[in-house]
Amino acid sequence: MPQQLAVIVLVDVGNALESRTLDGNTYLFDNMKLQGSENQGTGELVTAISGSYWSDGSQASEQVLNWLPYSLGSIPPTVPRGYEAERARQTDEQALTELDHLAATSGTSGTDAAAELSRIRQSAGRRVKTTRRTRGRLSGQKVLDVTGKVVSDGGTQAHSYPAPVITDIYGQAVDEKVIYPAEYGSPDLVTDGWYWSATVDTSRPGTYAYTMRIQLHQLVEQGGESLWEPVNLTCESKIRVTTEPKRNAFTKAGLGLLPVPPRAFS
Amino acid sequence: MTTKPKLRESLTAARRPISITAVVDCVGALASHSVHGHLYLYDTNKAGGSTGFGTEELRTKVRRGDQLLWNVLALECEAFVSIDDIVIDRAVVEPERRTYPGTDVAYWIGTVKRDDILEAPYRIKFRVGTRTEPVTTTLSPALFG
Amino acid sequence: MNPKVNIVVVVDVIGALSDGTLLNGNLCMIDDGEQSTGQGTPELCTVVRPGQVVTWSALAVDLQTPVEIKGITFLGADAEDGDADAEATDAGAGAGAGADGRNGQSGQNGRGGRNGHGPERHNPELEVWSGVVPQLAPGVAHQYRLEVQMYEGEHSTLHIASPALMCQ
Repeated sequence: MPQQLAVIVLVDVGNALESRTLDGNTYLFDNMKLQGSENQGTGELVTAISGSYWSDGSQASEQVLNWLPYSLGSIPPTVPRGYEAERARQTDEQALTELDHLAATSGTSGTDAAAELSRIRQSAGRRVKTTRRTRGRLSGQKVLDVTGKVVSDGGTQAHSYPAPVITDIYGQAVDEKVIYPAEYGSPDLVTDGWYWSATVDTSRPGTYAYTMRIQLHQLVEQGGESLWEPVNLTCESKIRVTTEPKRNAFTKAGLGLLPVPPRAFS
Repeated sequence: MTTKPKLRESLTAARRPISITAVVDCVGALASHSVHGHLYLYDTNKAGGSTGFGTEELRTKVRRGDQLLWNVLALECEAFVSIDDIVIDRAVVEPERRTYPGTDVAYWIGTVKRDDILEAPYRIKFRVGTRTEPVTTTLSPALFG
Repeated sequence: MNPKVNIVVVVDVIGALSDGTLLNGNLCMIDDGEQSTGQGTPELCTVVRPGQVVTWSALAVDLQTPVEIKGITFLGADAEDGDADAEATDAGAGAGAGADGRNGQSGQNGRGGRNGHGPERHNPELEVWSGVVPQLAPGVAHQYRLEVQMYEGEHSTLHIASPALMCQ
């Protein structure tokens, strides 16, 4: 079973939204540097895919390519899955506890109930409105800043962008049936366990381009409510497919006897 | 044509902290005990004039009062990498380690203290995999004013 | 008798590189042989018969890190490889020189084959570690040195000398 191939798509979401393009705002990586991938960490990555075939010409191994989109400068993907939803729940619970406490103490002197309520509202943050278009992974979550704190006013406070979402992979490599991409669900069912993956036909060497349609999300204010507005942009990358015959590692040719030094038979 | 009040207002006006992200090829770093050739640095201030994107010598353009936030991404999604320390002139910025609420995932944060920074190079110490010894950058990224 | 035996070397690449060893649970070996011992450990002893085809392959635990077999070298009775322990003593003497000769040769072949290809890119999947079991002294564990390469760099190659093939 071969190594799984991964392409990381790191997007400067803030800059991409501002300039309305992924050009110059996308940095691509893969784990095939040793196999000859070029331009790591730039927008011009060429991913090397090394195929192999048996002496009868049949494809010897199936290469699988996965794409992982990340947002530059946002809360990192290493926080647990569903972190925004989890933070929304945590901060709700905290606010409820504080409200209980406020209700119990509001009669006592020295308590500024209005100020206290305002403080609780601040720390409880703001939930993103659910609309038809934003239903799904981002709905009902709260806006967080880049340190994971909830944001109570998206108009004046900086916020962390959600990870970009790949919505399609198409173009030459797909048209020519070199890669067969599709979106899959991962065993993690909590929230956004979806990813794009493709098998590669390594029987036709060459360089092939493909295009990713990537959805970013911009926080907008509408009628006093915050919502994540989807913004669809595209980004191109390339794969370079090579294929070589398998060979025996002991003999450098065909199958032979194992080179075991002789020992005396007892 | 009447000028309607803007119904939708893009909420990007707020001054964002500048995030500096280190992408580390953990396996490469572990196989050579060095991050040289296995580190790619980026920040979110390209529009502001930062340079050296994707290299080990990122130069981040900063102003006094800018909040800087460092974090790290592993190229191999199952590898562990974290920032162990950021060594920089404390007169420029004093980065401190914090964690995202409710997690043990860390980031480093600090506020730029000065405006007249010519060049403030710094070193980042990483913890990679389960190795106890940190790996330090060989080339220096920098802040400049 | 099954005409083929597959030996799979499973490596925790990050763990092995972090610890600088394939021990500490960073490597385990399994095979589909019928009477093998030490399954799931670096001391796998695969029971084979002359004429069977043995194939080794390496697999990274996390699937995304590169790992390959860099060399498999069968050790002689008095193997000089420091890692070969105890077992080497129970076989007859006299095979030492031959073993060393093959040892070095196979090592060079491994490197020459790779570098000799000039601009050709490195593709570990091209190498098939496979061979036919020759007539072996029965009841003797023929230990081999298994070299594993993870990515590239000064500290990328580690080995063990504990696995073995044995004829009954």
